[in-house]
Amino acid sequence: MGNFFPRWTNWLPLKLAIAVVFIAFGVSVGVAYYFTPKYTRVGYEPTQPVPFSHKIHAGQLALDCRYCHSFGETSSHSNVPTNQTCFNCHGPGKGNIRSNSPKLEMVIKANETGKSIPWVKVHKAPDYVYFNHSAHLNRGISCVSCHGKITEMEVVRHDQSQSMGWCLDCHRNPEKNLRPLEFVTKLDYKAGDLKRADFYKALLDKKVPVDEIATTIGGEGAKADSLDQLVALAEKTYGKDVTQTEVGTQIKKHWQIQPPESCTACHR
Amino acid sequence: MKKIWKHPEEPQNAKRYWRSVAELDRREDFLKNLGREFPEGDTLNEAERENSRREFLKIMGASVGMMGLASCRRPLVNILPYTQHVEWMIPGKSLLYATTMPQNGGAVPLVVTTHEGRPTHLSGNPLHPLGGGISSFAQASVLDLYDPERSQKPMGAGKELSWAKANDLLAAAVAEAKKTSGASLGIVMGGSSSPTYLRLLDEVKAAYPQVKLFQYEAVGGEGQAAANKAVLGTGVKPFVKLGSAMRILSLDCDFLGVDPVAGEPISAFTKHRAKEAKTADMNRLYVLENRYTLTGGMADHRKPLAASLIPVAAALIAAELGDTSAKALADTAPASLKEWIAPAVRDLIDNKGKSVVLAGSRYGVEVHALVASINNALGAYDSTIELLQAAPAAELGNFADLQTAIAGGQVKTLVSLTPASLYYDAPDAAALAKLVTGKGVNLIHVGMQKNITARQAALHIPAAHYLEVWGDVRAADGTYSIIQPMIAPLYDGASRVEILLALLGRKKLGPVEAAAPAAGAAPAAPATDAAHTAVRDTFAVVAGSLDETKWNFTLRDGFLKGSAYAKATAAPNVAAVAAFVAKAKPVAAPTAEAPEVVLVADSSVYDGRYINNAWLQEAPDPVTKLTWENAAWIGSVTFRALGLKEGQLVKITVGDTAIEIPAIEAPGHVSNSITLPLGYGQTGVGVVGGDRGVNAYALRKQPGTFVLSGAKVEVLPTIAELAITQEQNTMEGRAVYREGTLDTFNKDTAFAQKTGMDSHIPENISFYKGQVGVKSEENPDGFDYEKLHQWGMTIDLSKCIGCTACIVACQSENNIPVVGKDQVRKGRLMQWIRMDRYFAVPKWGKNEVEQESTWPEDNATPEQLENAEMVHQPLACQQCESAPCETVCPVNATVHTPEGLNAMAYNRCIGTRYCANNCPYTARRFNWFDYNKRNPLIDTTVLGMKVGNLYAGPLGEKKEDEGLRLQRNPNVTVRMRGVIEKCTYCVQRLESAKIVQKQVQRDSKNFRVPTDTVKTACQESCPADAIVFGDLADPKSAIVKSKASPRDYQLLKYIGTRPRTSYLARLRNPNKNMPGAENIAVWSNNQY
Repeated sequence: MGNFFPRWTNWLPLKLAIAVVFIAFGVSVGVAYYFTPKYTRVGYEPTQPVPFSHKIHAGQLALDCRYCHSFGETSSHSNVPTNQTCFNCHGPGKGNIRSNSPKLEMVIKANETGKSIPWVKVHKAPDYVYFNHSAHLNRGISCVSCHGKITEMEVVRHDQSQSMGWCLDCHRNPEKNLRPLEFVTKLDYKAGDLKRADFYKALLDKKVPVDEIATTIGGEGAKADSLDQLVALAEKTYGKDVTQTEVGTQIKKHWQIQPPESCTACHR
Repeated sequence: MKKIWKHPEEPQNAKRYWRSVAELDRREDFLKNLGREFPEGDTLNEAERENSRREFLKIMGASVGMMGLASCRRPLVNILPYTQHVEWMIPGKSLLYATTMPQNGGAVPLVVTTHEGRPTHLSGNPLHPLGGGISSFAQASVLDLYDPERSQKPMGAGKELSWAKANDLLAAAVAEAKKTSGASLGIVMGGSSSPTYLRLLDEVKAAYPQVKLFQYEAVGGEGQAAANKAVLGTGVKPFVKLGSAMRILSLDCDFLGVDPVAGEPISAFTKHRAKEAKTADMNRLYVLENRYTLTGGMADHRKPLAASLIPVAAALIAAELGDTSAKALADTAPASLKEWIAPAVRDLIDNKGKSVVLAGSRYGVEVHALVASINNALGAYDSTIELLQAAPAAELGNFADLQTAIAGGQVKTLVSLTPASLYYDAPDAAALAKLVTGKGVNLIHVGMQKNITARQAALHIPAAHYLEVWGDVRAADGTYSIIQPMIAPLYDGASRVEILLALLGRKKLGPVEAAAPAAGAAPAAPATDAAHTAVRDTFAVVAGSLDETKWNFTLRDGFLKGSAYAKATAAPNVAAVAAFVAKAKPVAAPTAEAPEVVLVADSSVYDGRYINNAWLQEAPDPVTKLTWENAAWIGSVTFRALGLKEGQLVKITVGDTAIEIPAIEAPGHVSNSITLPLGYGQTGVGVVGGDRGVNAYALRKQPGTFVLSGAKVEVLPTIAELAITQEQNTMEGRAVYREGTLDTFNKDTAFAQKTGMDSHIPENISFYKGQVGVKSEENPDGFDYEKLHQWGMTIDLSKCIGCTACIVACQSENNIPVVGKDQVRKGRLMQWIRMDRYFAVPKWGKNEVEQESTWPEDNATPEQLENAEMVHQPLACQQCESAPCETVCPVNATVHTPEGLNAMAYNRCIGTRYCANNCPYTARRFNWFDYNKRNPLIDTTVLGMKVGNLYAGPLGEKKEDEGLRLQRNPNVTVRMRGVIEKCTYCVQRLESAKIVQKQVQRDSKNFRVPTDTVKTACQESCPADAIVFGDLADPKSAIVKSKASPRDYQLLKYIGTRPRTSYLARLRNPNKNMPGAENIAVWSNNQY
């Protein structure tokens, strides 16, 4: 019987095995990068039916987010406004601002026909995820933490990955994102802009015991009797400027922020 | 070495509770599936087996061709905001409205949960004087609203008509009636206590002075109404104060089930069923009935008695109380009945002023007259029965009058407003239909279903659902309760009030053409709705004036405060009783040759009106556990004498009519008596209700009779496949039910905690010392009770009546799919709550599975089975603290939360079913198919072959019904195929309560949900107040008090799962002088 297989085939199995290893590695790297929400979601920037500019309204004009998204603090959904909200400024007989602009054509038409404007959804949680805006906004999490600087976006873009891992990062270490309630819709807020004395005074006004604030700053054994001493203690611990860690740790401790990590918090 | 855990064996002489006769007798087919979480192997029936292989190949071939069409791009999703603000509406939040469900002569006060304008869930209105839990009928009625097979278009003789045409036909009929000043017009109404309806009826009478008015309801009421009128007076309504009655005797009155009495809600009765301390008083219930009902199950003393003998029993009681007119009838009573009744009556007399006798509404006038005389003698009037005076209403003829009027040609146009279906449920319905056609009567039918009456009527008008219309109704105590629309009529149906308005020429039926709003202008004010105006006019009469504040309060609360009926002044006229009793025919007890047939309202479809409600169809009957159809209930003695098998067809002949119906053996059923549930066997109503079961109305020829004597029974060879759930998800006969008598309790209040293995449990030797969840010296790492909620539940078996309201409430709240009869047969019922029904007989020995019986005398005799006791135990996930399911999940899809819930992450579940196999309570359900998207009730034709839709793979119809989709709770995931699901203590409600508390507190600290403000769906629906739920970490909460009860016990405590749900043992209050009193509930004590 002759040799059916030439000599080079002796190495074929090994070559194949090595190739398979490389291909598998390549595929898994590819999947790990391209299939994750970081790649698939971030940067999604669909064209909206109405060329509404958040940059002008929320940025230049500094309208509060809640002027239009009015139920974010009371409901799970942060609603998209009705035409009536637009017409408060643009409507005839009201502000009448740029009411002839062609950009408003669709809004006016929707008002006449009663048919909704088909806005394109940018941030979409899967059906089995129950996110609640009010639980976050009422507890010192700002819009910017999840949606990015909307005030600088002409067209809304998906800014954060909003994957489950990303959610849990914050639920495990909420102090990185907590801020006083009055700054929740101030997207350009920086902890450094806060006046330390004001921040601690607000806490004291809420009847938080002064020594508890002190131990939160300096650990067991740290003592303070007055606002001045607290400020001094904080300056010693965190430096001259107020830091996010400082604000976040205090809020977490004294508002009892315990973000749930159990499944039922988001999946029902 | 592998250690196999053995459950403790029970001693030979102990009693056990069993679910089916097959279990009692340890039949082979029962043992085969015992211990299987899911029936394995051959679950296909003959036809399926035949087709399955060929089908598989064909379907596979076709589906390969369809592969690769799916796209993986992110779909574009739109957000469609309202263009105009809607008042009160906050997207994402539910809105609650108070309304009322009208019922035959009464009302169910409701709170409706709506999401963006869609009513999704109903619960009782706690503000209403008669509020509280609601029945499964009321609970499920929200599904009727979305029924895709509801009547949607007017019909004329079975053909669809336009609304314009229907209006014309109606107008023509009205014009015709006008000419004769109404002499040719007849109106049949149902039992209604709506003031607007009655007021409009008076107006109709004024407009058409000669109009003939009739009242017809399919089940019951005529005899009772006649007796009440004669004895108590015109317009006098008895109101039974169940909460004041400490001794109740029921003559086949299922007041806890399908035959509710006008009176206080069931919770008033169950309030006196439970005791936590020795001092509290407990009520006592005596029941005489031919079959088991829910009321019979709750009885302290129950005697199976042929329904034919109920008048005799009533006479006997009356005679004992000194009513001489009843003596003749009473003397015919059998000795055993006399023996039973004498001590019972003595007890009633001893509790004069605190006792009451109730009779089933299906019985004739003589029974109700006797009962009135009995109650008078017992001093019940003004103590346990309040007599209320309703406003005078128009005289209404009964069904016999209707027949005479049609036969005499006096009625030419007949408007049927009753919820009953004349051509289906009327006595001798076929003859009636022939008579109507023969006499050329123009039948105008108003109804929600396309049933036989709708299809054959000259004109059928779709009725609106009560959640779509304006209306009002008086509750049993007369409280004026409002019906307000939650949603615009989905299919343009008309309410019954609107039909009367149309007869008066004040309303055009059909869709309202909305005028297009002018550009930029404010939306036009909604056109005044005629029904709305009519209801407001009535309100003005009832409230004294049209006070807007009062009106708004009425809309908010659902009722008008202080609008109950006044007390009646006249004393009962007992002298009238004798005349009725004299007319009563003497009855013979049924014999084996001539058994009686008893027609009863069904617990799923009532009189047939809920035939198209899939939730009710699939909720197992509380007694037989039968789903999707009816069967003849036959007592063990008769069943075995006939040599029947479960599901075997019998031919029942009464007079010259016969029906063929499957038979089932019913423990606790009297012999020589056959119970036939009504309401089934309708055609053309749709895929849910069409052609299910057998029409038992066919046997009835006389109006007002529900007990037919002299029947003939013939056994047929065919055995029907019934979907009975009683042997599914068993707990393998382990002792899970505990009950005791009041004596047992007084001897040792904590008897339930020492029953069975519970007193033999070794000390906790686990690493976790102290009580789990409590920080102590022993257990420094315990949960921090200060910060977290700890949810827990108790179910009071003393109070639980075993109705299925909780099952339906859970289904409505948690988007639980319906699986259809076929799947139920395969043990794939999805309901999260299982209502276990156990029977028990005094002595039963055989208990070892392998063991040959050596004690033949220990086998229960059919006579013992006839006297079997019945108990109910609702069971859902027990939320074990040390849960066996969690440890076996390979993907952590079921895990524990810090609040004590056994959480289920559906999106993580891969469907290994390990958890279900490891659950000792069999509380987990598996989605074998995508029941939500694939309609399990229909067949699909695949390549010329008829296949069940579920089995058609990608070629089946896969579309969620648009209508039913509207009912879904948006806060609960709709599960798909291949995942396990189970009770989660309504976690969506818990999370939402916590978030609301956070919204209120914001940057403060107190995040504990206010005490007892969050309720689970089952708890809210429970008409008996048997379920307590709350935060174990809140010392003020009701659950902490309930768990402290000495009756509290855990199921299978000895296996150490530490369930968060526990049960309160059932108490019974036997009368020592009654025959057989020594046998009641004694067996539970004998468990070692």
